[in-house]
Amino acid sequence: MGNITLGRYIPMDSPIHRCDPRGKIMAMLFVLIAVFFPVGWIGYGILFCLISFTIVLAKLKFNFIWRSMKPMLFMLCFLLVINILVVKTGTVLFTIGDFEIYSDAVLNTLYIAVRLLLMIMVTTCLTATTKPLEMTLGIEDLLKPFRKIGVPAHEIAMLISIALRFIPDLIEETQRIMKAQESRGVDMKEGKLKEKIMAILSLIVPLFVSAFQRAEDLANAMEARGYVPGEKRTRYKVLHMQMRDYILLGASFLTLVGMIVLSRVI
Amino acid sequence: MSISIQHLSYIYSPGTPYEHKALDDVNLQIEEGKMTAIIGHTGSGKSTLVQHLNGLLLPSEGKIHIFDREIIAKQKPKNLKSLRGEVGLVFQFPEYQLFEETVLKDVSFGPKNFNVDEETAISRAKEALALVGIGEEYYERSPLELSGGQKRRVAIAGILAMNPRVLVLDEPTAGLDPSGTRKMMELFKTLNKEHAKTILLVTHDMEQVYGYCDDVIVIKQGKISTQAKVSEFFDEGNEIEEMNILPPALLRMKKMLREVGFKLDEEAKDIQSLAKEIAKQVKKHG
Repeated sequence: MGNITLGRYIPMDSPIHRCDPRGKIMAMLFVLIAVFFPVGWIGYGILFCLISFTIVLAKLKFNFIWRSMKPMLFMLCFLLVINILVVKTGTVLFTIGDFEIYSDAVLNTLYIAVRLLLMIMVTTCLTATTKPLEMTLGIEDLLKPFRKIGVPAHEIAMLISIALRFIPDLIEETQRIMKAQESRGVDMKEGKLKEKIMAILSLIVPLFVSAFQRAEDLANAMEARGYVPGEKRTRYKVLHMQMRDYILLGASFLTLVGMIVLSRVI
Repeated sequence: MSISIQHLSYIYSPGTPYEHKALDDVNLQIEEGKMTAIIGHTGSGKSTLVQHLNGLLLPSEGKIHIFDREIIAKQKPKNLKSLRGEVGLVFQFPEYQLFEETVLKDVSFGPKNFNVDEETAISRAKEALALVGIGEEYYERSPLELSGGQKRRVAIAGILAMNPRVLVLDEPTAGLDPSGTRKMMELFKTLNKEHAKTILLVTHDMEQVYGYCDDVIVIKQGKISTQAKVSEFFDEGNEIEEMNILPPALLRMKKMLREVGFKLDEEAKDIQSLAKEIAKQVKKHG
């Protein structure tokens, strides 16, 4: 479990790391939308250059992005097969036996691959440079306008940050309980259906018990420190939009507008 | 020799940036019928070592010989399950492994996994519960509504009911109050002396090592730094303070008394006999 790169924060100091999370989230949204416009190879080329420039600014390694992309390769191969079977337009590239492979099938897959790559690059730019805590602060602020229609912005942000905080703990706990039950002769991998059900039960029940225990402890600890949901709270970290944030926002918005125009022209 | 470990190394997440060598060329002989303590700092590799003994972790290098079984690095091990029946491993805070509806069902879960029939499993469970001091009135209760100390005893009974030849305990007294700790240690002593179980005890508490164990293994940064008999280990010449180990209170007391001129009999092994010894000396010099 230790080698998942997608969505991991990389602690470093770069202009992008120092940007306001709200600005970064909005900028990511603009660019993500831009990726979805059919802008042709020129458009994707421009987008690729712009995003790569941001990645360099963020001092991220392309190797890191490549590793995040790897799990998607299987999906892309699958897509390629489906496209080859379904798409019958364009010119025939080559034939295997009676089977003809058309250029559009390969081209379509390539389009999707490039879009996926761009999307991963953009989201990595955000997740790798923003601490989970800052991210939730950003989400909370961005959701604030929706409070008028009853969206509990602060509670949602708190939920997200607590959930993120406990994922590694629960993984560890699962491994611990699995080992403990394996020591009692449980076979987690093989066995008859009845044994398998028992094995899963012996894992799930203690996991739930300990998750509820943790939740209760956390609730008590929060209450002991005076936490009341919905009450006005001051913040330890106050977000300020600065020049660089406006530049980032403006640049990403311009990219979006540019891509929309480009898609109309092509 | 019932358990022998040769050139055992273990590496966590090899080939990743998180690669970590937890055990490094460990060689060990553990005698059958003895109570052996394993001590060392947090992160020294104690838990990694004991998880090799029932095949939860498999060696990256080296081999382990347990009774007539061999686990050799890079070879697919056979019969891990039956090994787990012979080496009962009790994890730290074992109460988290309880899951059945009743205490009796939970304790008989272990033996049932080893193809023991229902009746025998229940009778073994009852024996194990009697050993750890859980009375009949608890049999039909849910294990989740017991107190912390009771839960732990039920969890240990769950391993005992499998009737293992070797019992490996990873800090079994962590988080118990002093009287709970004492009862627990007395239980292990009984299991060792009267039921001829080989016991391996991972602990931080030197009083437990001194008071209950026969042998001691010190593990430091994944290597065995000392293996000795407890009676010799705490000898003053051994300079265990240099290993950052605080000797048991009784020994420290004796040392201080000697320094101020008391002549003490070496035999005083508990507080009562030491107190008598002091009283004798005081009377003599009146």
